Amino acid sequence: MTPCPIRHHANTLRKNARAPGVLALVLMMLNIAGCASTPELSESTSQKLPQQTLLEEVPFHGQRDYQCGPASLAMVLNASGVPVDLDTLIPQVFLPGREGSVQPEMLATTRRHGRIPFVINGGFDALLTEIDAGHPVVVMQNLSLPTWPVWHYAVAIGFDREEETLILHSGMEPERMTSFTRFDATWARSDRWAFIALPPGDLPATTDAKSALEAIADFERVQGAKAAIPAWEAFVARHPTQAMGHFALGNARNAIGDSQGAIEAFEDAVKADSGLAVAWLNLGLLHRELGEGDKAHEALQRGATIPGAWQEQAKEALDDLKMGGE
Amino acid sequence: MMKKLYRYLSPLLIAALVLGSLPVAAAPASTDSGLVSTQEALTTERVQQDRERIHEVLARDDVQQQLVAQGVDPAQVEARVAALSDAEAAQMAEQLEQLPAGASVVGALFAVFVILLVTDILGLTDVYPFTR
Repeated sequence: MTPCPIRHHANTLRKNARAPGVLALVLMMLNIAGCASTPELSESTSQKLPQQTLLEEVPFHGQRDYQCGPASLAMVLNASGVPVDLDTLIPQVFLPGREGSVQPEMLATTRRHGRIPFVINGGFDALLTEIDAGHPVVVMQNLSLPTWPVWHYAVAIGFDREEETLILHSGMEPERMTSFTRFDATWARSDRWAFIALPPGDLPATTDAKSALEAIADFERVQGAKAAIPAWEAFVARHPTQAMGHFALGNARNAIGDSQGAIEAFEDAVKADSGLAVAWLNLGLLHRELGEGDKAHEALQRGATIPGAWQEQAKEALDDLKMGGE
Repeated sequence: MMKKLYRYLSPLLIAALVLGSLPVAAAPASTDSGLVSTQEALTTERVQQDRERIHEVLARDDVQQQLVAQGVDPAQVEARVAALSDAEAAQMAEQLEQLPAGASVVGALFAVFVILLVTDILGLTDVYPFTR
């Protein structure tokens, strides 16, 4: 889905243009032209954002051939403090058979380098907000029309609202200026796909709690609990009412041997949502492991009363506990 | 004769493979104390059936093969697939096949060139840098 464009095919086209083709083209043009408009910022975003911003510290890597994927990744990874070079990234994310890189692997490779990929869903508002927050954004564009796609990754690093231009490290061109309208037209063709790469502990300025939670959980699966702990701590600080965040922090702490910290986190989880059965279950299991029978009993009993996927397991653990106690 | 043999052998092999990969799916990151992992809790939250989990494990194998077929260095394939989330692996397994081949499609016809030239001038596309 993502070969990057090489910009030298214009000369090869000197073939036949025919009247029906021209007619079809004119009709298409009229049809498509209706869709293009300058993206509008919402009132609140508009007030918060400065007139212009440029993340000058984001390094530029020129793409070779079709390798805009690895080049874009190198730029955001370098910007977040990972000193990886293009030659390392190409065999990790480039698909020779497709002459491009696919979206899932862009995210996966970010994880391999110890950064959390957060997909940004909020459209143009979110894009500018993230840039303003200091996060360079990898965007996926179709520079051409849907019928003849030219998929391309670039890194959005700045904007000028007065001039209505977005500034991108793109292809062979650092700090390329593109009008908001043109950019949005090409970006919309990828359903406005974009992501940022952040070190554990930093959170996106825009993403909702659930997406952030899943992004961190996916990162933890690859990089392990120890690497994910700062991310979970930042998450619960930002979203104290999200019980799953506390639950996840508890698991991560437990995995590195911090039982006491884990118990605190599980307690926070059930405080935030007393209906989160799996947190009661883990709290009980951990108390049981630490030999704190009464507390284990109490927590498991709570877990066993909540219908759902974990009820059976909580009941079994409770029975085990009673048998062991006698 | 061989066909008959295959008929019996194939289901057995499939079963063996599926069973062999099951523990990986059922307990991706569980700890010694038997606590429920975050990833497990999240997948269960999505009301996921065991069938789908098996599907996701098979998806990873599938993606590995597809990556090799796409010319990825076999030494790199395992690490690349390991870094995918379950959902991404499933997406790769399904979508890689449907991908359009290469960007060389653009430029095949003069009409396409003209259309893209005009859409570039209109600010709808960004194919030719000389239009700006």
